Amino acid sequence: MESSRDISRDAYRAIEDIVGADNITDDPAILDSYAFQWLAELVRPERSHYMPRPWAVVMPLTTEEVVAVTKVCNKYHVKVKPISTGWYHWAAPLKDDEPTVQFDLRRMNRILEIDEKNMYAVVESGVICAQLQAEVMKRGLNINIIGAGCSTSIVASASAYFGGGPSSYFLGSNSDNLLGQEWVTPAGEIVRTGSLSSGCGWFCGEGPGPSARAITRGTLGTRGGLGVFTKCAVKLGPWEGPPVLQPTGKPPAYRLPIPDNFRVYTVGTPSFEALAEIYYEIYDNAIGYIFHRQFNLAGADLAAALWLTYLDPNGTMNDVEARSKDPEVQKISEEARVSFQIILQGRSKEDIELQDRILDEIIRRTGCYKVERFCEADFAEFTNMYLQRMGHKHCNFVWVGGYMGSWMQAGTPDFVKGYVKTAIDGFERDQKSGLLVQCGGDAMMGCGSTLGGGGFFALEQFVSYDPNDNASVDACIKHMEDAITDCKANGIPLGKEYLYLQIGWTDERIWDDLSKMPQQFVLNFQRKIKEAFDPNGLGDRNYPWLPEGWGQQKTIAAGSAAVAGVGKP
Amino acid sequence: MRLYRIAVTIDAMNPPARPGEAPMGSKKESLVQIVGEENVLDDAGTLEAWSKDESFAPHRRPWFVVRPKDAGQVQALVAWANVTATPLVPVSSGGPHFLGDTVPSVPEAVIVDLSGLNAIRKIDTRNRIAVIEPGVTYTQLDAALAEKGLRIARPLAPRANKSVVASLLERTPTVIPRLNYNLPEPLRTCGVVWGTGEVAFTGEAGYGPKSLEDQWKRGASQVDPKGPNATDLMRIVTGAQGSMGIVIWASVRLDVAPTVHEYTFVPGRTLDELTGFWQKLTRTRLGDEVAVLNAAQLAQLVGRDAAAIEVLKAGLPPFVVVIGLGGAALFPEERVVVARKDLDTIVTGCGLTRVASLPGISPADVAAVFEGCSAEPHWKVRYRGASQQVFFLSKIEKVSGLVATVQAAAEANGIPAGEVGVYVQPQHQGVVQHVELTLPYDPGHARQAARMKAAVEKASRDAMAGGAYFSRPYGEWADMVYAHDADAKLVLRTVKGIVDPKNVMNPGKLCF
Repeated sequence: MESSRDISRDAYRAIEDIVGADNITDDPAILDSYAFQWLAELVRPERSHYMPRPWAVVMPLTTEEVVAVTKVCNKYHVKVKPISTGWYHWAAPLKDDEPTVQFDLRRMNRILEIDEKNMYAVVESGVICAQLQAEVMKRGLNINIIGAGCSTSIVASASAYFGGGPSSYFLGSNSDNLLGQEWVTPAGEIVRTGSLSSGCGWFCGEGPGPSARAITRGTLGTRGGLGVFTKCAVKLGPWEGPPVLQPTGKPPAYRLPIPDNFRVYTVGTPSFEALAEIYYEIYDNAIGYIFHRQFNLAGADLAAALWLTYLDPNGTMNDVEARSKDPEVQKISEEARVSFQIILQGRSKEDIELQDRILDEIIRRTGCYKVERFCEADFAEFTNMYLQRMGHKHCNFVWVGGYMGSWMQAGTPDFVKGYVKTAIDGFERDQKSGLLVQCGGDAMMGCGSTLGGGGFFALEQFVSYDPNDNASVDACIKHMEDAITDCKANGIPLGKEYLYLQIGWTDERIWDDLSKMPQQFVLNFQRKIKEAFDPNGLGDRNYPWLPEGWGQQKTIAAGSAAVAGVGKP
Repeated sequence: MRLYRIAVTIDAMNPPARPGEAPMGSKKESLVQIVGEENVLDDAGTLEAWSKDESFAPHRRPWFVVRPKDAGQVQALVAWANVTATPLVPVSSGGPHFLGDTVPSVPEAVIVDLSGLNAIRKIDTRNRIAVIEPGVTYTQLDAALAEKGLRIARPLAPRANKSVVASLLERTPTVIPRLNYNLPEPLRTCGVVWGTGEVAFTGEAGYGPKSLEDQWKRGASQVDPKGPNATDLMRIVTGAQGSMGIVIWASVRLDVAPTVHEYTFVPGRTLDELTGFWQKLTRTRLGDEVAVLNAAQLAQLVGRDAAAIEVLKAGLPPFVVVIGLGGAALFPEERVVVARKDLDTIVTGCGLTRVASLPGISPADVAAVFEGCSAEPHWKVRYRGASQQVFFLSKIEKVSGLVATVQAAAEANGIPAGEVGVYVQPQHQGVVQHVELTLPYDPGHARQAARMKAAVEKASRDAMAGGAYFSRPYGEWADMVYAHDADAKLVLRTVKGIVDPKNVMNPGKLCF
């Protein structure tokens, strides 16, 4: 790969001819605004906040422009990396020595279709959740907004990333909801999937025959590592609330009035064992519209104080510490220590009343309770606003401007229950350095299900650190490494901190790790897919692969021997 | 120990005979070594039986039928097929087969009859996941689940010997739209012997050790279908007609079985009259079972013989939306009461009427169709001795026009429109409509059969021209579909080249 200074200006001019001079830049100041990425300091030399600077930023308006620019990039051997709305450092170019065009897809922001009868919407990659939600709610429909919030791209979460959020339990994850999609491969070819490729419209994501989406839409998606998803359709779900959300209250603690056919509760449990029990009861009883554990992201020791301060029109961050020592607040902290939020939506008065009865009976059977203060009108309306719209992402950074979400291994309630103690103990241990925010060991939040219908979820540990204090950054990195060690010591699969750290690793180190995975089939599969759809290597390792011969089985006979564990017991 | 012996045998065959040149005798000897003599069949009657099905797929005899008993034998068979360039046709369900996917498209094929891999490996009641082998039938699984108060989302009146795994792999529609969060539901993860002979698990299971038992020890439950990594391997084997590999186990989502369950009906004179209603119904996720049937379809599902079908058909409304109201878990009676009341609000709002029963059809009849397996002979052959199905996916506003298109094609070929069964199954929580038309005929009547073939061909072409999405392209549909879908063909051929580079898995199907 050429260094950026060696790249012919012809490449720049060719792209400029496609998108216009206003939509390409190599101004270092602007390029650095794309390189400036959350979490960068955890992986970059000298704790820099900057990921590698792109060679140029290009803002296409159409799929055709994406195709044309990608073809120029193939000609001049410039990598491509799309960003729609971004979240995490891996949205940026990953290497300093690889000239990369960063596609900024914000101009592709059209809602192309809302098909009310068939309950789907077609959007371009710059359309954000808030934009689409506002439109579909007018039609009595809703979308699943992912945990990263309403300012994120629908296409990104549906086609290229994880796609879970507080409403996934009822509305489906955005993997469940993905219908037809349009993908520009790194080779510059358009590939449409599902019914769209057969010329039958956007309404179905599967087939014909096996589903082409299979090669890109796995657990995490391609994360920008294998071309650009330019459009997709997503399934919509029922919304029985008002056509327009009309918040009340003073900023930032906006409140959303609760209609008669909704209920908003924070439910406390005596332990994580009890949390698992009530989860299974809710799952079996199939109630709930939004199911989420939100407020503990601030840490169980401080969460009550923070949120009550947040709701106090005269409160400031300076009040939190004093408030946390108030015995009344401490009582609420204990009640809410192991808690979650649930919002019920009813089709009718009778339906919501029955769901209420069912929830009350579940609470009674499991020895849980409603957290009284959090169920009062002001807090419930705040909860309703927070979780219906997911517009409070600034709160993720509330303590000192930076956080790293570790753990988040998804599994059954029993599985999650099994790792929580290790996560809490480890965080408490590492907080003793005094370099991480001391908010209690349980700063774990997560959506009630990452699969439509429930049964599978994860808790993410919010490790708040000061990104402008190198000692604090170092402490966060140490905590990440400790979490990996804790996982290995306790037989727990590795969590998100491992994915974050990998961004700073060499290819060889990543491949060495990948080659130790118990099943490498998919990594070899992805190498071959990459060879087929990205022959010039324009994508990056966000679509991971294992080089040929790097720890893989080579012969069928060897494969036969490897099957020993598969047979009947 | 058996696996070791097979690996040695394959090595001993190197260099292998050139493709197609291995003498029959040596092939049989190899197969006998893998699955045992009693599980290698090549008598004329057996081969003849496997050379055809109820579809119009060209007849072609396989060379052998083999019946592996465990996953190791399956893997050894695929390894052997790679060495000898022998086509394998995996089959899990008992007959009759209807879609042509179990009939070899090329010579020298070996049918891999997976009905012997029929263990229910685990029923995880707490997480509502079952892990089953491909030979497990609906009859078998239903009985095991009933003991635990569970059920599985199921297709309409499957035959008793229908493999659950095969049904789900082929994305056969299921009858409870609100549970259908995505089209493959309730299929979750699979263990697969890929066409290369490698074993790899899909979804969440693809991250763990290559042993279910080891995964269970670590607390994994094979729940998440996504993955592993950036790929969704499960979606490569779904809709594949066995062309990518052989599934040796699958995990499936279960649901709490209702303890109160009733069926109710909303009749209509035309599909158009009912379209808005069932759209609202699925949109609000009201009801469990929701399906739209015409009189001919419902009569064929319920009637015991041709005479009974005629009588039933005459008494039924032209179309009916069947709605199952189920009460599961806590307050089951109250759930049904509330659902019924909410249903009535929608029915009234649509200017329709709800009825509690249909002429000549008992509640048990309806329950058998939606919760049980078809009585024998299977409903598809009960009326005229045989039938052909034309099915596809559609947006809701196109359903009635596409149904009319198929009916017109049938009539143009002498098939009375009144005999054509119409079944519309909302899927993906109402986003997708599965439209299926059943065209009965007498297979012993050569002229009728010829006309039926022409009718199916015309109906399929006309429906496709009208926007029908043939997402499961069996038989001749495959050429029609992939001729117009270069993107899907490109991706699928690339994938096939990776997971089955020697094209030993059911060659000749789809676009391979």
